[in-house]
Amino acid sequence: MLKGFTTILIKELKELIRDPKILIGMIVLPLVMFPVLGLVIGYAQQTAVEQTQKSAELILIVDNDGGYWSQQLIGNLSQATNIVVLNNTTPQQVIDEGILAQYNRTEFIEIPSNFTATINAHFQKNPNLTAAVNVYSIFQEGGIFSNIGGSIGSSIVTNFNRVVAPNILATTPSTIIRGQIQAGVDPAQISSVLYLQSIALPITIMILLTYSMQIAATSVAMEKEEKTLETLLTVPVDRFAILMGKLSSTIIVAGAAAVAVMLGYNFVLGNISATVQAGTAVDLAQLGLVPTPLGYLLLGISLFVTLLSGLALAVIMSAFSEDVRGAQALIGYIYPLIFIPSLAMLYIDPNSLPVALQAVFYAIPYSHPIIASKAITMGNYSTAIFGIIYVAVFTLVIMYIASRLFATEKILTAKFRFAQKKKKLAEQTD
Amino acid sequence: MSYAVEVKNLTKRFGNIQALNDATFKIGQGEVYGLIGPNGAGKTTTLRIISTLIAPTSGFVKVFGLDVTKQSDEVRKILSYLPEESGAYRNLSGMEYLQFMAKFSNVNTEQAVKEAAEISGLGERLKDRTKTYSKGMKRRLLLARALMTKPKLAILDEPASGLDVLHAYHVRQIIKSYVKQHGITVLLSSHNMLEVEFLCDHVALINKGKIILEGKPADLKQKHSSQNLEEVFAKVIGYA
Repeated sequence: MLKGFTTILIKELKELIRDPKILIGMIVLPLVMFPVLGLVIGYAQQTAVEQTQKSAELILIVDNDGGYWSQQLIGNLSQATNIVVLNNTTPQQVIDEGILAQYNRTEFIEIPSNFTATINAHFQKNPNLTAAVNVYSIFQEGGIFSNIGGSIGSSIVTNFNRVVAPNILATTPSTIIRGQIQAGVDPAQISSVLYLQSIALPITIMILLTYSMQIAATSVAMEKEEKTLETLLTVPVDRFAILMGKLSSTIIVAGAAAVAVMLGYNFVLGNISATVQAGTAVDLAQLGLVPTPLGYLLLGISLFVTLLSGLALAVIMSAFSEDVRGAQALIGYIYPLIFIPSLAMLYIDPNSLPVALQAVFYAIPYSHPIIASKAITMGNYSTAIFGIIYVAVFTLVIMYIASRLFATEKILTAKFRFAQKKKKLAEQTD
Repeated sequence: MSYAVEVKNLTKRFGNIQALNDATFKIGQGEVYGLIGPNGAGKTTTLRIISTLIAPTSGFVKVFGLDVTKQSDEVRKILSYLPEESGAYRNLSGMEYLQFMAKFSNVNTEQAVKEAAEISGLGERLKDRTKTYSKGMKRRLLLARALMTKPKLAILDEPASGLDVLHAYHVRQIIKSYVKQHGITVLLSSHNMLEVEFLCDHVALINKGKIILEGKPADLKQKHSSQNLEEVFAKVIGYA
């Protein structure tokens, strides 16, 4: 074995283990974070399954055929679950007249007018003919489990084909986006296209926030570690200017990063819709699922104010440390507030959570760019604007605290203490 | 007589620790005044209060008639502080650092930097990043920064601490000659009694947050029948 290795190893371990900041950051936080994430993922899966079960509890059927086979299908379904049948109604009427909301459904089935004729033709003339029911589903921008339960359409087809004849029935899925029917577009297909948005943006935002906060914290901690802050605080310069100078430099870098994220995001979405357009005829832009310039602007602003709040908080936290290592360890305490909502929103739509959990999600400022990214895709600008206002107010409060900290001796004397109170005090008194 | 610095009944507490206990002293204009005492005596706390970094728990300090607590912005315009163990920005060159600091004062930046270059004696090395400097070079740069604006009051915390003989000599020579030449009042702290004897017109001995003795070095040595200030200090605190 290398000479002296064990001695150095033991010394290093002692130093690491005896630093409570590191102990908490490295061991306690993961112990808390992963169970929380596990609960969120479990909840997301359970919610998705429950939603599917709920869909099957009551099926809304628009019967525009009225023939023998449509009655057979309806009879078949009524034996399995509760049904509501509407006659002589167009699919658009179901949406426009609020019938879906009235029955609290997100899907309905239309039996088209040629249904009985097609099945009769299947038996009498051409066994290759297949009848179709149209399944209309409201597109919901959820997480990556949003389609875990599948559509009610598949269970209807399986059951009918088993009872009547193999391959006699198929479904034609259509999507309802913002009250408009996108005929022949499968919501599962759109979800798979938007899968990237569900994963890439939260991860990018997570990296951007943590990286920027590290830069800001290091900037202040470096001044303390290199003992340049004391000198700077005695020159005739407004202390708020020192704070703003530090924040602004990081903001410029973070702002450039936010623009880069926006450009990359736009490019990727554009590229995907182009690819998909050629392959499967799903064009996100045509479906109105690519953000508008206003949407991008709101997302950019949301990202910017969130970065600003994160940076201001990082500056405050680093003011409580004596050196760069201490600052980085302290910043680590904020990470769960970034990681948990980001990772959780990979799996769930926060609006599907119970109210108390929703409140927690919305209270964490770092959730808002991700919430905004989903909201602007659906044209829900008010959610994005609310988030911007909330985070801006939060940022102002944090900035005020930071400016007060810089205006007093706390910037030099404040320390985040655990068990070493007496020792730290003694260091201050020379 | 108007004083450069007036410290009266100065007290500072950090939690349960009494860092300064009713300290009182005055510094005449143009004097080099030394605050001497062991580690933990309260020297740095005193200097930090005078240089507006921290607030006193009670008592007051005036710098050229300005209250350091109530008129801190005005005080900062006329003083310059060199902390013990201070550093320069690692990724700036010595020259850039001097320019950066000079811009905060009301003096001509170019003139101040030229002055600092002369004081530091670092020559061409001023073009190099400060992270490449030795400890002595860094201290010379920082001392030059503290004096380049010709402040009315220069507060120097352990100005030659940790330097080798030659660098310490250079630093002391700068303080001795430059401040006298420009009429700068200096308040310095040190535990090096010989350094203090060499530089200071007046000294105050501080121990456990209290000023225990004050006067001219020669008078103090005579009064306590001692060879040097070190012996005076040892006798006063009952160590010798």
